[in-house]
Amino acid sequence: MESTMTVEVSTASDDGVNVASSKPSSADMAFYYERLLPFRYVFQWLNHSPKPTKDFTMREFAYEHRSGAYQRYNSFATLDEFKKSVVSANPMRFEIGPVYSVNPKERKNLSKNAMRPLAKELVFDIDLTDYDGIRTCCSGTKICEKCWKFIQVAAKIIDRSLKEDFGFKHLIWVFSGRRGAHCWISDARARNLDELTRRSIVEYLDVLGSKQAKMGKQSLNLKRPFHPHIERSFEILKTSFVEIVLNDQDPWNDDNEQIDEMLAFLPDKDLQQELQKKWKNSSSNSKQKWEDIGIVAEKIIKNQARLNAVNEAKKDIIFYYLYPRLDVEVSRQLIHLLKSPFCIHPSTGNICVPFDLDYNLSDNRDDDGYGFNPMHAPNLITIQNELELYDSRNVDRASSQPSTDDENEAPTTKVLDFEKTSLKPYVNYFAKFVNDLVKDELKSQKRDRDDLEF
Amino acid sequence: MIRQTKRRTAGRRNFENGMIFQSSKLDKLYSHRLSFYDIPPLDEITLEEFELWAIDRLKVLIEIESCIARSKSVKEMESIIKPLLSKYLPISTLSKGNEKQIELERKKDHYSHFILRLVFCRSEDLRKKFIKTESILFKIRYNLMQPKEQTNFINDNNDKLNWSYINNEEKEQMFEQLFNATGSAIRSQLIMDNENLSINNEQLRQHVKMENFIKLPFEKIPHLLSARSIFIRNGEGYIPTTLQINLLVREFQNMLENNLIKTFQSLPRLDEDDRLLPVLNSLSRNFASVQYEVDSNNENVGDINSQSILTNEITKHYPLCGKHLQKTLSVNHHLRYQGRQQLGLFLKGIGLNIDEALKFWSNQFSANMTMEKFNKEYKYNIRHNYGLEGARNKYRPWDCATILSKPKPNKQEAHGCPYRDLNLDSLVSNLNDMGINDQKDINGVIEHVNKNEYTVACTKVFELTHKNMKGNENLHINHPNLYFDRSRQLEKSS
Repeated sequence: MESTMTVEVSTASDDGVNVASSKPSSADMAFYYERLLPFRYVFQWLNHSPKPTKDFTMREFAYEHRSGAYQRYNSFATLDEFKKSVVSANPMRFEIGPVYSVNPKERKNLSKNAMRPLAKELVFDIDLTDYDGIRTCCSGTKICEKCWKFIQVAAKIIDRSLKEDFGFKHLIWVFSGRRGAHCWISDARARNLDELTRRSIVEYLDVLGSKQAKMGKQSLNLKRPFHPHIERSFEILKTSFVEIVLNDQDPWNDDNEQIDEMLAFLPDKDLQQELQKKWKNSSSNSKQKWEDIGIVAEKIIKNQARLNAVNEAKKDIIFYYLYPRLDVEVSRQLIHLLKSPFCIHPSTGNICVPFDLDYNLSDNRDDDGYGFNPMHAPNLITIQNELELYDSRNVDRASSQPSTDDENEAPTTKVLDFEKTSLKPYVNYFAKFVNDLVKDELKSQKRDRDDLEF
Repeated sequence: MIRQTKRRTAGRRNFENGMIFQSSKLDKLYSHRLSFYDIPPLDEITLEEFELWAIDRLKVLIEIESCIARSKSVKEMESIIKPLLSKYLPISTLSKGNEKQIELERKKDHYSHFILRLVFCRSEDLRKKFIKTESILFKIRYNLMQPKEQTNFINDNNDKLNWSYINNEEKEQMFEQLFNATGSAIRSQLIMDNENLSINNEQLRQHVKMENFIKLPFEKIPHLLSARSIFIRNGEGYIPTTLQINLLVREFQNMLENNLIKTFQSLPRLDEDDRLLPVLNSLSRNFASVQYEVDSNNENVGDINSQSILTNEITKHYPLCGKHLQKTLSVNHHLRYQGRQQLGLFLKGIGLNIDEALKFWSNQFSANMTMEKFNKEYKYNIRHNYGLEGARNKYRPWDCATILSKPKPNKQEAHGCPYRDLNLDSLVSNLNDMGINDQKDINGVIEHVNKNEYTVACTKVFELTHKNMKGNENLHINHPNLYFDRSRQLEKSS
């Protein structure tokens, strides 16, 4: 993948070095924490109010230090303390845990039982490593625009279910910095779920779940007729299957293992053998093979019920190759920590930006048809360069207009550092999300108060 | 109940007032055959009624308990419990002329439940058992009611359940989704209730049309949610009649659990009554099989020491698992960890104190190791079991359920349940050693083993080896120490 950042950026980076994979230095990180990371919005997001509440002050934060040390149970009284602590600790990243019944910082002074986790956002984690069995374009830590489409479809399916089935409103999707995405659900109802219910939501959504673990993949055990969630998901998968799996990934082109795995889904032994024979001697791509299944089935199976079974099996195959593969542990446990949005991925230098599932937030118009493109996600090096460039231009302008040095006017026109970079649209998107959440939260708090008064 | 005992001093006037109000009870308090038992009884009853009603209910609960131990299905349980119910705890339907009898039946049901609360609220284990058996009783009775009765019952308890039925319009609007989401779950429930049922899609569709759906927040139905067996929209799940019973039972359990704890907390205020307490104590003691509790003041412990437990005088009262463990120990001069735990706690349960226990184990092990090694590697563990080390918990002897839940023993191990873990030949030779030689008797035991009813097999052995003693009926062995205690008790009394 070529970096399609602005011209200034590619010249600023060392020749031949791919910007998107540079490891940030400790000084770069410190600079980012001090000037760019939007602490205020992260604070408001977790606090659900402008002034510090228990939702924030009793919240656990964990630091992963450069030395590899992992420091848990940090907690902060104010936004200021939060930012100062992160800046001075300068961790590789910080993670967000639950709100506890007591201040996590003071846990040592209290009895073991006093510290109970009370609430946390419901979170989901989708990672392309779980797709390694079926993606052909990349493997391991690598990703490209082809396989990121798996994440796009997965996110769409999870997002719809969370909104339509569970009625959640305040969801945000965040790029994990390398090859996955996190979803944070901040509705009060979601934050207060117990672990049993979290687990059942995960199981409701994790259609492939137990199947992946087992070896026999002959059937996914999807009940017919499809449950409404399965039916809705199928409608989404059906349309993307041709493009993502058959065309882009083309898993059955010449990989016999993959072909056998797919054939195992078909209920009819004769059909399996017939297809194997057909494909043995001639090369064909996945799209042709997919069509072959229907054609050969029509030819050799005369019984309508068995023909229907083949059709149903094809649906199972679509689910197997495209349905979201969830990393379930994160979602189940209340005490599980997850990397905060706007952290920097320590190996890629990418910022973990929130993104919209439906349209491209960046200024890169090439991605408008694609949506969020992780290959073009803001990277620490690029935004540092953008900031430098902006400031150097502005110094020029400031010196040509010396009269605007007035103290009173300065605050209203002051441009925040992140606004000078390609991070801006992502921060603004997050700010709007947080704003809506806080507004809703204050409204329902007021309602509760009114209920008490009357 | 508690208030009632205090009021007693006010004289007999309350009793008469109660009589006057009774005529209206069928309308309100006893309007249904089923109850959440949320209102405590306030009328006076005689001491005889107090005891008799409680015992009758207990008989039913004990049978349920025994069904659970034999892992009977709900369907099988129903057929076993139904005759008992009509004998001890009938709840007939109301018809003209039988109002008096109906009211008495329901009153008995009401009071006996509350009396047993007093008996069973005293420990976590007892509460659990009571909740389990009572909720099965509740379920069986609910299934006995007509659909109309069921709906009325739920509607009348709406203040507690907060269940609201969706109207027909809403149902028709989303019928396809309801059917697709919940059809197969309804089908499997119907098949579970009636094994010979075969139902095609069209019949199922008609059945789903008849179902009344309620709407509940998904937090209330995690199990239905995770199985994807209900339709859920906008945060609310739609539950058909067929799947409501389990929810109803769960509500019943939650309420009962809270109430039992409340009862437990107010028990001290009852203790001043010198008439009820003996009854309650004897209720829990006479039916020890419901829950075996180690009694440290047991009159039998006097003769238990490191020497006597090696004599036939004592070991003849051991259940087979204890015998097997002790025999293995004396042959090998060693036992693996699980075996040491199982035997050690069993011995503690029969009254072996810590000093004698250390003597016993070190003697047994001495053929194999020095005293120093014993003290270093085994002493701590034995003291730990007596609550003298570490967290200082008082560990109880394992009951059969615990023993059966542990990993099965491998070749070098001797713990577990012999009825499950020994091969047939050695089991039979063990039975012979216990004096069971009649082929018919042996077959009878093996039959239960083959059905995986190990505690029943053990009970059978107990019955066979205590044939000539009176008073061994009505006992279900679910604890090795119960076997031991009962065996000694019977010997003494005969």
